[in-house]
Amino acid sequence: MITLTLKAEPGVPLEAEALSPDVVANLSHEKVRALPMFLGKRQVRVDEFFEVDGDGSDEIEIRGDCGKVKWLGRGMTRGRLIVAGNAGMHLGAYMKGGTIEVSGNASDWVGGEMSGGLIRVGGNAGGQVGAAYRGSRTGMTGGTIGIGGSAGLEVGMRMKRGTIAIRGKVKDFAGIEMKGGTLIVGGAELRTGAWMQRGTIVSLTPIPLLPTFAYACSYNPAFLRLYAPQLAPLGISIPFEPTDGSYLLHTGDVAVSEKGEILVWQPRAS
Amino acid sequence: MLRITGGRVYDPANGIHGEVKDISISGGSIVAAVEGPGVRTIDATGMVVFPGGVDVHTHVAGAAINFARAMTPEDHRTAAKFIHSPVTRAGAGGATPTTFATGYLYAGMGYTTVNEAAVPVLSARHTHEELRDTPIVDKSCCVLMANNEILLDLLEQGEVERARDVVAWLVWAAKGYGVKAVNPGGVAAWKWGKDAKILSQPVEGYQKVTPAVIIAQLAAIVDGLNLPHPLHLHCNNLGAPGNFTTTLETMKVLEGHRAHMAHLQFHAYGGEDWGSLSSEASKIAEYFNAHPNLTADAGAILFGNSVTITADGPWQHLLYQLTGRKWGNLDVENETGCGIVPYTYKGGNVVNAVQWAVGLELLLLIQDPWRIFLTTDHPNGACFWRYPEIVHLLMNADFRRERVMKLPAKALQRTVLADLDREYSLAEIATITSAGPARALGLPRKGHLGPGADADVTIYNDDPDREAMFRGPRYVLKGGEVVVEEGDIKKVVEGREFIVQPSFDKSVEDYLRPLFEDYYTVTFDNYPVEVERLEGADIRKLDIS
Amino acid sequence: MGGKVTCTLGEVKNRADFIIYWGGNPADCHPLHFTRYTLTPKGKHVPLGRKGRTMVLVDVRETPSVKFSDIFLQVRPGKDFEVLTTLRALLKGRPVDEARVAETGLSLAVLQDLIERMKKARFGVIFFGMGLTMTRGKHLNSAAILSLVAELNAFTKFVCMPVRGHGNVTGADVVMRWSTGYPFGVSLSRGYPRFNPGEFSTIDVLVRRDNDAALILGADPGATMPQPAIDHLASIPTIVLDPKVTHTSRLARVHITTAVTGISAPGTVYRMDEIPLPLKPILRSPYPTDEEVIRRIREKVKEKPAWLPASFAAVPCA
Repeated sequence: MITLTLKAEPGVPLEAEALSPDVVANLSHEKVRALPMFLGKRQVRVDEFFEVDGDGSDEIEIRGDCGKVKWLGRGMTRGRLIVAGNAGMHLGAYMKGGTIEVSGNASDWVGGEMSGGLIRVGGNAGGQVGAAYRGSRTGMTGGTIGIGGSAGLEVGMRMKRGTIAIRGKVKDFAGIEMKGGTLIVGGAELRTGAWMQRGTIVSLTPIPLLPTFAYACSYNPAFLRLYAPQLAPLGISIPFEPTDGSYLLHTGDVAVSEKGEILVWQPRAS
Repeated sequence: MLRITGGRVYDPANGIHGEVKDISISGGSIVAAVEGPGVRTIDATGMVVFPGGVDVHTHVAGAAINFARAMTPEDHRTAAKFIHSPVTRAGAGGATPTTFATGYLYAGMGYTTVNEAAVPVLSARHTHEELRDTPIVDKSCCVLMANNEILLDLLEQGEVERARDVVAWLVWAAKGYGVKAVNPGGVAAWKWGKDAKILSQPVEGYQKVTPAVIIAQLAAIVDGLNLPHPLHLHCNNLGAPGNFTTTLETMKVLEGHRAHMAHLQFHAYGGEDWGSLSSEASKIAEYFNAHPNLTADAGAILFGNSVTITADGPWQHLLYQLTGRKWGNLDVENETGCGIVPYTYKGGNVVNAVQWAVGLELLLLIQDPWRIFLTTDHPNGACFWRYPEIVHLLMNADFRRERVMKLPAKALQRTVLADLDREYSLAEIATITSAGPARALGLPRKGHLGPGADADVTIYNDDPDREAMFRGPRYVLKGGEVVVEEGDIKKVVEGREFIVQPSFDKSVEDYLRPLFEDYYTVTFDNYPVEVERLEGADIRKLDIS
Repeated sequence: MGGKVTCTLGEVKNRADFIIYWGGNPADCHPLHFTRYTLTPKGKHVPLGRKGRTMVLVDVRETPSVKFSDIFLQVRPGKDFEVLTTLRALLKGRPVDEARVAETGLSLAVLQDLIERMKKARFGVIFFGMGLTMTRGKHLNSAAILSLVAELNAFTKFVCMPVRGHGNVTGADVVMRWSTGYPFGVSLSRGYPRFNPGEFSTIDVLVRRDNDAALILGADPGATMPQPAIDHLASIPTIVLDPKVTHTSRLARVHITTAVTGISAPGTVYRMDEIPLPLKPILRSPYPTDEEVIRRIREKVKEKPAWLPASFAAVPCA
C-alpha cells in the first residue's frame, strides 16, 4: 500500500490521472514522488501536493479533501484506489477493472464511459455518473457504481451495460437515452428514462414520469431477488419480497422505443 | 539557397523516373543550379525525391466541415492532439481536423497543395477565413454552381450567354478557382425534400432544366470561360446500387468537353438493392479509358471511422434513416446545401467491402495515371492522412491480395479485385499524387521539379513498407523552406490561395441586383468576398476564348 | 441524438409556410425577423407573403409576439421537454398518457392537431429561443427540438434554427470550432483543446472558483451572472476589454477601453444562420481595437518562458 496525503490545497484544479494503480504499481518511492500532475496549465510533481509514504503499489490510499483533484483512477485496470476524503471530477473514468472507494463525496462524471471494475462513493456524487462524454453514443459498458448519497443530472446517460445504484435521490434525466444495464435510484426529480431505448431503471420511491411511459402491471420481478445480494457490497439494499410490496412496471420511452422499463416500488399498505 | 543531392528523383512531368540527380532551389523556386557560399545541402543519398503532393479533392474548410466539427466532439477526443508550441498552434486531427492541424497533417505527409472541393458562394468568406488559418499548404477552391437557382432559372429560359456571365461573376464573387457541380438539380429538389435521380427528367419546379442540361451547359460554360480546371462534377445518384448507369450516361453527356469526375468510386456500383450491391468499376474504367477528355479522382474508402460530408442532401437523409447515426443538414438559400452523417466502414459488412474493392479497382483498371488521382473524398471515404495506406495497397500486390482474401465471400463474388495483379511504380505514385492532379488543376508551377516550379519537394526514406514510407517523409519543403523534418514541424510558412478572375459583361450586375433584393437575405454589395480579405492571393485573369 | 437540420434565413423567406417560434419573443428581441425573413416577405415560393404562412407561437406567457401569431400555445413553465417528447411519440403514432400530457398546459388534442399541421406543411421551421434553451432542461430542450425536426423529415421538409443572443456569439462559436473543434467551454490548459460544458464553461468555472485570473472581452458577467461568480471575479485579477465601463469593469483590476466593433473596428459578423457578413467601420476611434490590444498582450506573453513541457510525460487526458 502506498499512501498519499494532500498537504496543500490546489487553488485551481489539479489533474492527477497518474494516480492510478496501473501507473503507480511498480514504481519506486522516488519515481512516484516525481510523477507529473497538471495544476491548471503548469506541470507539477506529485510531491508538491502530496506527502508520499511507501513504495509504488497497486493499492493506493489518498487522504485529504481532494474535491479539486480530477481524474483519479483514470483508465485503471486493476488494484485498489481508496480516497479518505472527497474526490474531484472524472473519478474512475474509462476504468476497466479494480476497485475505487471514496469515503466522502465525488464530483461529476464518476465512472464516465467505464467498462469494468467497482466504484463505491460513501457520500454524494455529482452529475453524469457512468455517462457518455459529450457526443459519444455510449456511456458505461460494464462494471458497478454505488453512491451512498445523492447524485445530480444525467446519471447513466447512454449507458449500455453495468449497474449503477444511488441510495439517495437523483436530479433530472436519470437514464436518458439508456441502451441497457440497470440503474437503481432512491428517488428522482423529472424526466427519468427520457428517450431510453432499453435497460431497467428501478426507483425505490414514487417519481414523476413522462407522458411517453405507460403503466403495464404490478409485479415482483425475479431478477431483483437475484440482484439484491450483488448490491450488498455497495451498501445498498432493495426490497423485493411480495409481503413488503411490489413494483409498478412502466414501459417506454415510446418517443423512441418500447423496450425500456421503469420499476417503481410500491410498499404494501399496512 | 539549397541543394538536394544524391536522391532518386521522380518527376514524371519532366520524364524523370528515378534518376539520381540534384535538385537546386533558390528564392522559393526550383532552379537549374545554385552555387557560391550560403548553399545549404541536404544529402538525400538512398532517398526518394518527389514533387510535393497535390490533393485535388478534399473538404477541409468552410461551413460544411465546421458543421461536422460541431457534430463530432467525441471524434476530436480520440484524435491526434496537436500541442501548442513556439512553432505550432493547438488543434486536433481525426476525421474533421481543426484548421491548423489540417495544415500540419498535410505537410507532415508531404502534401503541399490542397483543393477545397465544395464552397457555397454565400459562405465563401467563411471558407477563406478558415483557409487563412490553414498553414503551410497552398490552396484553391471549387465554387458550387449546379443547384444555383438564379443559374437554373436562366437555363430554363434558354439564356445561355447570361448564364455564362453569371457563372463568371459568381466565381469572382466567391474568389474561387474552379466550378463544382454536385448532384445537379438534386440539391435544388432537396429544398422540397426531393431528389433528381434521372438525368433526362426535369428538375422539381422546372419544365426544361434536367440534370443533363445542367451538366452539359456548365461544362460548356467552364470551357468557354477558359477556367484552368475543368468542370468538377459529383454525379447524380451517388452511392445508390446500380448507379453506374447514371455515371455512364453522365460521361456521354460530357462528350466534347473537359470534365473532372469526383470520387468515382461512389458512382461505380451495380446491383438492384443493398443486398445485391456489386462493382461495375470495369465498365466505368472501360468507358473512361477510351475518353481522354475526362479526369477523375478515386474517392476510395478505407475501413474505419469517417464522416460523410457532401452537398448531396437527399443521400444524407437516406443514410441517417438507414444507420440511425447523427444527421446534420444545412440548405443554403438559392445555391446549394450540405448533409453530414458520421459513418463507420466495416470490413465484415458486404456493402462496405464492395466499396473498398471498387476504389482500388478503379485505380488499377484505369490505365493512365495522368487521369486518375489518389483521393478518399476526405473525410467521406477515409481521412486524408490515411492516403499512405492506399499507396501500399497499390504498390504491393501480395499485401493487397492478403487483404482482399479477408473480405466476405459475397463481396469477393461481386468484385474483380482478386484477379488484378497490377502494381504501381513509384513514378506512377508520383503521378497520381502530384503531377497528375497539378496538371488537371491547371497549376503549372506545381507537381513537378523542373526549373520555375515552386520548390515544394518531399524526400522519403526508401522503405519496402510503403505505408510507413509515405506516412513519414524524411523532409518536406514548401517554397524552398524545410517545414517538416522526421515528423516534426520545424517551421510554419503561410500558403497562397490560387484564384481566377474570369471575364464577364459587367451589365450582369444590373441583372443580379434586383434578384438579390427579392430572393436573398444579404444585400448585393455585401455578397462578394473582398480581395483584401485573402492572404497570399495569386490571381489569374482569364480571357474568354 | 446529435446533429441539426437547418438552413439559411433566405430559405425560410422563400419557402416556409409553417413557422413556429418556441420560447422566444421576436417582436421585442429580433424586431426585423418577421419583416425580413419569416412572415411578411413575399418569397419566391410564397408569393402571398403573410397570407401564405401560418405562425405558431409557443411560450409560457403572452408577449408582444402573440399578436403576430395565428396560433398561440401557452405551455406551463418548465414543461417544454414533456411537450416535445410527446410530439415525437405522436409523430410515430404511439400512444401517450393523456393526463400527464395535460399537465403541460396543452391538451393531447391540441398536440395532435399541431403534429398534423406540421406533417402537412410544405416547408416548416422551428425557431427556438432562450425561453427554451435557458430553462429547466437546457441543452436537452434544444436536443428535443433537433430530434423532432430530424424525424419530421420522413414526412415533409422541416428545419430548425436557434435564435442567438446579441453580439457576435455565432461568430465566436464558428471561430472556436474551426480552431479548436469545439464551440465553447474549451480548455487549453494541457496545450491542446478539450471540451466539457459544466467543467470548462464560464459560469461553472467562476462559481467553483476554478480560475485564478480572468480576461473578459465583449461580455458583462458582472451584470448577468450569479452572485458567487461575480464575487469570484472581484477577488481575482480580472481584466476587461470593452468600449464602455461596464459592471464588470467596476470590479476588475484593469479596464482597457477599446473601439466599438462594427462602428470603428472592422471584422466579420456571423448571422444566426452562420452567414458571414463584413463589418465596414464608418467612424474613427481614439481607442485601439480589441484585436490590437490582444496582439500586444500576446507579444508580451511570448516573451515569458515556456510553461508547457517539451514532451508530455503523462498521458494527455481527454
